[in-house]
Amino acid sequence: MLKRIIISLFFIVPSFSQSDDLSKSKIFLEKLGKEVVEKISNVNISDADRFKNFKKLYLSTFDNYYISRFVLGRYWKTIDKNVQRQFVESFNKYIVATYAPKFKGWEGTFKATDSLIEKNYYNVKMDILNKEGPTLKMMWKLYLNKNNEFKILDVNIDGVSMLVTQRAEFMSVIKNNPKGVKGLITAMEEKASGS
Amino acid sequence: MTNITSIFRRLLFLTIFLSLIPLFSNAEDVNDPFESANRKIFDFNNILDDNIFVPIAKGWRKVPDIPRKPLSNLSTLAQTPISLANAILQLNRESIGNILGRFLINMTFGLGGMFDVAGTKEFGNVPAITEDFGQTLATWGVPDGPYVMLPIFGPSSVRDAFGMGVDTITNPLSFAYRMNGIGIEARLSGPVLRGVNQREKYLDYVEEMKASSLDFYATMRSLYRQKRKKDISGLLEDENASSLDFIPVASIADDDGISQASSLSFSDELDSTDLDSSFTDISGTEDKEVNQQVKKIVQAQVKRNSKLNSPILMPSSNYPGAKTVESRYAPRIYNGIMPSSNYPEFSKSRVNLIN
Repeated sequence: MLKRIIISLFFIVPSFSQSDDLSKSKIFLEKLGKEVVEKISNVNISDADRFKNFKKLYLSTFDNYYISRFVLGRYWKTIDKNVQRQFVESFNKYIVATYAPKFKGWEGTFKATDSLIEKNYYNVKMDILNKEGPTLKMMWKLYLNKNNEFKILDVNIDGVSMLVTQRAEFMSVIKNNPKGVKGLITAMEEKASGS
Repeated sequence: MTNITSIFRRLLFLTIFLSLIPLFSNAEDVNDPFESANRKIFDFNNILDDNIFVPIAKGWRKVPDIPRKPLSNLSTLAQTPISLANAILQLNRESIGNILGRFLINMTFGLGGMFDVAGTKEFGNVPAITEDFGQTLATWGVPDGPYVMLPIFGPSSVRDAFGMGVDTITNPLSFAYRMNGIGIEARLSGPVLRGVNQREKYLDYVEEMKASSLDFYATMRSLYRQKRKKDISGLLEDENASSLDFIPVASIADDDGISQASSLSFSDELDSTDLDSSFTDISGTEDKEVNQQVKKIVQAQVKRNSKLNSPILMPSSNYPGAKTVESRYAPRIYNGIMPSSNYPEFSKSRVNLIN
């Protein structure tokens, strides 16, 4: 009898924890929305703090290493580890410099409407309820890492994947730049310092 | 009659020709063999945009809601015949229903189409759907072909540019205008209004993108392709994004230490007390402990089973005719959810057509 209970647990527990994780993925993103409003879009904080908070939020909630690797596509394997490291750092700086100012003064709410598991990932559907302007439909792709932390991989807005768009842009920059990946790194550094 | 047959013959020839284009075009994934010409046209379009379209769109934004919204709704309503014709050609019941529903509701309750009441909660949020001949060709299996940048009209593909031409020629409204002797100025009012409206809608996004982009042309090309794919397949997510699956998550964290090294070097100046500490630890300590205990029990059981090589028993194993699972490991648990079928834009009829 005890054996059967334990074996039943084996099948039941994962399905419970799975649905639990699904709701946690939604809570995670809604919480992220609150953090954005309080610590990034807040007009009462200085721009330096906004950048600092954005940087921290991005590094703690996005899998920045995976994203960096994805956006570099086939070029990732063609460069040595030092250049890879340099690229990840420059890309992170570029993302922070590009996106942090865009949130200034933004008001709204992140409302997760559904969460689904697809292979290893959680696909969380979300409505971004802008205080001014239309509601945006988004899809977030995230996973649970070995430390039981959610990490965001991609954001999809109305059929447009941020990751795919970024990769397409970088591929073009590398192709048209005689210095290749190093040229891209320089361009990102220039953009980040100019913002 | 001969004219119609000849038009259809040409159409058929062009459709076959279009479907063969990828065989001859550049095999690179961006499929942009005319890139250098396209970039020149793109620069020209940007000059036009900065000097003509942006000022007009900004001016349009300043126009009060009335007459701006009714005019914009009327221009959208004028697309109904061509959208409906394409939805029928695609045999897309869902689109046919939405287009007809919106038209009837807006024509009656929306005072002749001036107000978009069909899109309100009270009338069930009927989505605004536009179907064009480019989409119809796509559902018939014609590939998009090389990317082309059209002067004034912007990003397109050979298939979609051809579709745009067909839509313009076959639009029933064009026939009505001609039969009633309406001049070109009046005929252009609808497309111009739609264009201005569209430009006004994306005014801020395009500005931001232009400012932050390293290669604005490549960004626009990617955006166009993804958006088009979504409009055709009805899925929220771009097909290319599924390439995420090629890198298994488990292998990412332990790659070669670059992840850890880079994030440390980049974030070491950060003060960990600035943000909510519970943010990344959403599950809570108590939950973790319970999970660990359950995990231990389960792992011990799996280990025992694998040693004994005994069949795994399910509660239903005692049912007459039940079969035991002769596996060392538990079968995967199916949670009853088919992910893609739950997307709001999932359209079974379209998937069937594409297949």
